[in-house]
Formats: sequence, structure tokens, C-alpha cells
Amino acid sequence: MLEVLEQQDVLVRMHEELQRAMKKKPEERRWVMVIDLRRCVGCHACTIACVAENKLPPGVVYRPVLDEEFGSYPNVTRRFIPRPCMQCDEPPCVPVCPVNATYKNNEGVTVVDYDQCIGCRYCVTACPYGARTFDFGLTYTETTPDNLPFLFGQSNADDYERHANYEYGETRLREGEKSPIGNVRKCHFCLHRLAEGMLPACTTTCIGRATLFGDANDPDSLVAEMIASPNVMRLKEELGTEPRVYYLV
Amino acid sequence: MNLKRVIYTISILALLFGLWGIFVRLTTGHREAAYGSYVVWGLWVAMYLFFAGIAAGAFMISTLDLLFHIRIFKGTGRIALWVGLVSLAAALLSIWLDLGHMERIWKVYLQGNLGSVMAQMVWGYTLFGLLMLVSLYLSIRDSQSSLLKVLMILGLPLSLFVSGAVGALLGVEASRMFWHVGLLPVQFPVFSLASGAAAMLAVIGLFGSREYPERSEQLWVLSVLTVALAVVKLYFLWADFSQSMYGNIPQNVEAVRAVLYGPYWWAFWILQILVGTLVPIFVLSQPKLARHNGWAGWMGVLVLLGFAVARANIVFPALTVPEIQALTTAFSGPHLTFDYFPSMMEWAVTLGIVGLAVLAFLIGDDRLPLHSEEVA
Repeated sequence: MLEVLEQQDVLVRMHEELQRAMKKKPEERRWVMVIDLRRCVGCHACTIACVAENKLPPGVVYRPVLDEEFGSYPNVTRRFIPRPCMQCDEPPCVPVCPVNATYKNNEGVTVVDYDQCIGCRYCVTACPYGARTFDFGLTYTETTPDNLPFLFGQSNADDYERHANYEYGETRLREGEKSPIGNVRKCHFCLHRLAEGMLPACTTTCIGRATLFGDANDPDSLVAEMIASPNVMRLKEELGTEPRVYYLV
Repeated sequence: MNLKRVIYTISILALLFGLWGIFVRLTTGHREAAYGSYVVWGLWVAMYLFFAGIAAGAFMISTLDLLFHIRIFKGTGRIALWVGLVSLAAALLSIWLDLGHMERIWKVYLQGNLGSVMAQMVWGYTLFGLLMLVSLYLSIRDSQSSLLKVLMILGLPLSLFVSGAVGALLGVEASRMFWHVGLLPVQFPVFSLASGAAAMLAVIGLFGSREYPERSEQLWVLSVLTVALAVVKLYFLWADFSQSMYGNIPQNVEAVRAVLYGPYWWAFWILQILVGTLVPIFVLSQPKLARHNGWAGWMGVLVLLGFAVARANIVFPALTVPEIQALTTAFSGPHLTFDYFPSMMEWAVTLGIVGLAVLAFLIGDDRLPLHSEEVA
């Protein structure tokens, strides 16, 4: 029992590995996410952390957790599959974009240039994982009444929604019809956090330490170790998209 | 009250309804739309496919007069070009309103990715539209112009390219089994020709000059063409669906089942197959009815209605099948559903565009010298 408690938390290890990776040139890093399905309890904390971190509006989600149920009583089981963007090495969403608004950056992460995106949503139809959502410009508090004497009204309640979004290291306010409203949005491995030496929000929030993140080009990293194990799989590998998100089963 | 007046009135009413829809679209963005992040393309994309098909097909028909000088089609070239131009404008308006950032359309021209089928299509349709416009101008000024002949020769492969590109737009999507059919870019030009022929049937039958001696023969030839293409269209449909069902790939089978037995089965069986295909085949196979202005014209309208539904039945079913089954319940929120039926705003915009297109056609038909006897 004591030995277990004395073990280093994988978050500490991944954090140290992240510092190491950030000293390398961007193109020398290979960001990979490993999700251990045996450890995932389906708490959805990662989904909520992602929504909070990226200030996602209603209808926009980067990392839902798929909840599957198998079998019939008494042999029933459930499986939870967190589904971020797969950051494919052969992404079907990239070549279809008519204006090069979505592309793989020099770290191999598929990103969206919000100021370039025309909102045609062709990339959404091309993604085999349903990993892209469209920002319809909704807010959580738009129907909340305001100026009532005994109510914490909209002008106060929407503080969170009025704060800037820092995706891609840019300060963006969601207002009017300005981007990212009218754009396609997706998981970007929290690039803005990585730049500050922080792990993605979903990784730090995972209560079961089921989500692991790091540089697979570092042979000593936890993720490099994990993706070399025989019980690893990727979603829809037959499509040849070469996802960078691995699942341990 | 003659037919033209009735159609003028209906078109103006449709346009007024559409103006409300466009106002809502421009002031509230996409919030009021029923499409979402899963069924990401809706009615406006389907209508874009529909109108773009008519545009390419009408151009193909215009070459019968203006390029090949086939006697029976003499005098139909300019009106066909006008139908094509109006349809193309309606198609582009429909797809433009569908964009999340309409003001950035210029980026496709100046910062476009030519490797994208969508960018190729935008360029293709722009060139095609300009070509049709210049061709129409020349055909009015001097139908024997050598430049007109050159444009017609260039326009024919261009019309095949743009209509094929619409098929390729969907066909390249390997993640959607329902669309990922190698023959889709081949089928679409056939569909375009069929819808162009149907549009001409409607135009000549309902609005053509009654004094024109070749009119009944034109209707008969267009009827034969429409019937033949309708049979080919049925064959394509049978080939696609039977192979999909036989192949038994779940995602594909689910999409086909959605068309055949889903919540909108009636749109397929009643509107697309019965009203839009079988009834016109039956009526237009009768030489007497096929030569009759009213019968032939209204059958053209029914074929077009069938094509509009067919476009929707290509776009929507592929998107209503989840990429991963458990996505349906993974996260809930507005615009996160795999069910789709267009919202009032979408219907309004579409009806407005249809009204505008019909109105534009009628005004051109009345004011421009589009009929052979009107040109010196």
C-alpha cells in the first residue's frame, strides 16, 4: 500500500517530459495522446474541463466521451471512449478545405485559422470521427433575464462567456458574428497551454489518469512506452488516417 | 388571369417570404437553422446541387441550337442560356447564404486551395457563369459570331466538369460510404442533362411562343430525352442502392434504409419516384400528351420537383448516419442531433430563392429578346 502511495503521479512525470519536449524544435516533437480505456470511468471530467478551458459555447464540443453498453443481462458491460480530435497524420479534413484554413502545424497538430475559415463545413463532412463542430453563435445565458431586483441576471451571469478565448494563443472575444462564431472548431491538444508548459486540460483533469500526453519522439516518455505495448489500438485505422490518439484496451 | 400572371404573383409572394428568411439569416446568423454539427449540410446545399444541375444541363441543351445547329432546336438556345444563368445565380445565392462567413468568399479566389474540389468548383462555376453571360449576349447580338462558337465549344466540357465536380465534391469523402461512389462524378452530368431537359420542357411547354411551328416537335424530342434520362436515373438509383444493400456495410446500409424506410420515406417514394419520375415517364411516353404544351410543361415541373427531392436524398442520408454510433448520445446540446428537417427560416430562404429565380426568368422572358422571332 505504501509503495503505491509513494509512486510518482504520472502527471508529474508527463509534466517533466513536457518541459523537456518544449526545449526541442517544434518539428522535432510528436505530440501523442494515449487513453487507457481500462482506467476511464466515464466521469466526463475531461469533457467539462475542455469546455471550460476553451470557453466552448452550447453545441460545440471537442472531447465528448462515448458511452457504449454491451451484452445482455447478466453479462453486461459498459465502455467509455473519450474522443478528442485524432490529430491524424493523414487528415481527410485538410485537403478538402477550399481556403487552407485548416492545416497541420509544424508540431503536427491539425489547427483551424479562424480568420481564414469561411464556414463551409466541408471539413466537418470529411472527418470520419465527427471531431469537428460548428459555432452557431449561441451562448449559455442568452435567455437569462436581466435587471430583475432579486436575480443574478444575465449581465452578471455571463461574465464567463464574455471572457476572451485563448485558443491558439490568440485573445478572442466571442461577440456579434466575429470568429470563432461561424467557424468550424475542434480540439487542438491545448496548444496554448503547451506553449506555457502546461499539459492539456483533459489530461490534468482526468481523475483516473486514463489520459496520457507527451512527445512520442522522446523514447523515455510515458506515451512512447505506452504506444509500444501490444494492447494498443486506434479508431478506424482501416481508413489510413494515421491517428495520433491511441487507446489502450 | 393567364398562367404567367399567376406564376408572377406566386413568385412575388415566395420572394417576400424569402426576404423574411434572408433577413433572419443575416441578422441572427445560423442560429435559427435546423442543420447542425452532425447533419452539417441542409436544404440550402441540396438546393445548390439542384440549381447548379439545371444550369449545367440548360447549357448543354443550348449547344444543340447554338453550336450544333440542330434544326428542331432552332430558337431555343438563348432561352436555354437564360434558364442556365438564372439557375446558376440561384445556386450560388443558396450556397453563399450557407457559409458561416459570407464576407470571406473572396478568399476562395485569392487565397484558395486548388487541391480542394470545392475551390475547383467555385472557380469552375464562376468561369461557367461568365461564359454563359457572354454567350447569351453574343447570341442576342449575332448568333453567327465565331466567338460564340468558340465559347460554346469551351463551355460544353466546362459544363461537364462543373456538374461532375459536384459529384466529386461528395464522392471524394471516403468517410461517408453513401457518397464514396466512384461513379458519382459520372452520374451527376447525366442528372444535370436530365434536369436541364426537364427545365426546357417546362419553359417551352408553359411559356413558349404558341405561334412557333417547331414547338410541338421540340416538346416531343425533349420528352423523349427526359423519359430516356429518367430511366437511366432509375437504373443508377437501383445500381447504387442494390449494391449498397448487398455489400452490407453497416454505415452504407443505414443511409440507404433512411432513404427507403426512414422518417421521410414519403419524400422518396411519393415525390421522387412516383410524382417526379414514374408519372412523367408515363405521360411523356404518350406522343399526343408529350406534344401538348400544358401536359409537357407540367411534367417538366414534376421532373424538377423529383430532382430537388433527389438532391436532398443524396445530401442528407449520408450525414444522418453517425460516424461513430455512440456519438448520438455522447454530448447533448443545440445543433447536436442526427435528425434533420429544415427550419422555417431555411424553407423561407429556399422558397425566396426559387421565387426570385422564377421571377428573374419571367422578366427576362418578357423583356429580353430570347425568342428567335425577336432577334433581327
